[in-house]
Amino acid sequence: MSHPDDLLADYVDGTLDERARADVDTHLLGCERCRDEVRLAASAKAALVELEDRPVPFGVTGPVLAEAGRRFERRRGATWDRFQWAAGLAAAAALVVVVALNVGGDGSENTPRPAAAGTGATGATGAEAGDATAPAPLPFFGLEQQLDVNYDVEGIRAVASEAAGAVEAATGGESAGALASGAEDSAQRTGDARGCVRQSGLQDSRDVLIRLIEAEFEGTPAYIAVFAEGPGAGQPPDHIVVWVVATDDCRILTSASQRIPPG
Amino acid sequence: MPDPPARDEDLVRRYLSGDRAAFAALVERHERRVYNLALRMTGREEDARDATQDAFLTVLRKLSSFRGEAAFTTWLHRVTVNACYDLLRKRQRGPVLERGEDDLPALEPPPVPDHADASSLSMDVQQALMQVPEDFRVVMILHDVQDLRQEEVAAIVGVPIGTVKSRLHRGRIALAKAMGITREAPRPGGSPESGTTKSGERADAAGPSEGTVSP
Repeated sequence: MSHPDDLLADYVDGTLDERARADVDTHLLGCERCRDEVRLAASAKAALVELEDRPVPFGVTGPVLAEAGRRFERRRGATWDRFQWAAGLAAAAALVVVVALNVGGDGSENTPRPAAAGTGATGATGAEAGDATAPAPLPFFGLEQQLDVNYDVEGIRAVASEAAGAVEAATGGESAGALASGAEDSAQRTGDARGCVRQSGLQDSRDVLIRLIEAEFEGTPAYIAVFAEGPGAGQPPDHIVVWVVATDDCRILTSASQRIPPG
Repeated sequence: MPDPPARDEDLVRRYLSGDRAAFAALVERHERRVYNLALRMTGREEDARDATQDAFLTVLRKLSSFRGEAAFTTWLHRVTVNACYDLLRKRQRGPVLERGEDDLPALEPPPVPDHADASSLSMDVQQALMQVPEDFRVVMILHDVQDLRQEEVAAIVGVPIGTVKSRLHRGRIALAKAMGITREAPRPGGSPESGTTKSGERADAAGPSEGTVSP
């Protein structure tokens, strides 16, 4: 008789369904080896279950929080002046173009303004925009899949205000590093999402997509598109607009907007 | 409307968006679990402290690339387990980590068992745990001690669920033997002296070297 080895862990856990348990019971009647194993395993489990958590000794996480503080200050230190904004905008535009190329032409509406910004008064900073060490003020993570998240109106407002905070505070180099791979990995889905957002007629030429989320809104599968919008070329964005559209027919479900605090 | 407790993933986003307190909230929420996982894995408080710090520092460094494909807790556990592995490897603390047949006797002489005393019993369990190979130990700690579902354990460790079941079962048997309850068979008619350890082993699962852990 073959031993029901793959069932014995669950048997000891007591999670087998009735029938499987009965099968194992029958087997155990005639199999001393499995009986021994079950007995040993059950003793071990009983001992393990009794192990209690110990309190975390004082000071263990202090250094971690201190490091978090330092990193936080560094990120805040990157302020938004015009110079950085123009450079960051060019970098962001490059990313948007990469996404657009990957998905077959979407997003061409994003290109005129950043191109102008790159050749304007701040043209000399173009090299810095491409430098990996330069701040990359516009975070864009590609399509973020949060399929298990169900947003409500409050949640969408929170997304808007978080984005405003992020744009205000700027981000460190690490986010920039994460951008390209994220956009590439999800190129197809990103294309679907962007197509859907565009189809809904929401995006205009002054909008720069900074975040795209696939999640649920009040139980409906949805894309959440976060745009930074500014008054014109070379100027920092002054507000965030969030549009939520249904993934199946791209209908608008809700929106939110948030002013970006002046830097 | 009162705010429900923030989800981990929301705290991550908040931190990345400039909310400094959000990371502290994440640490506070999870430090006990992380520390105790590390403590059970490494068997020493000092190592558990180091592994806990390493794990959270890794989380901090990689937070910006965390995009929520896995649940935050799954990711955090994985990072912690890896920190423990790294630390155990670094320390190379002699025989416990070796899977050789001859090296397995415990680090310290086992205390005289006093099973009426709960704390000494749990000492016994911890010492016995350290004699079970890491890959088996981690599955038992996550599932039996920390009460995570087998599916979560599979996701954390990165193995199929069948492997989790198999490691769980083999690991428990090895642990029981390391605890010295091998021959305590209460059943009348059992044959305590006949070694089922070697003859009973199957070829399909590379179980821990059970035959060597009993004193």
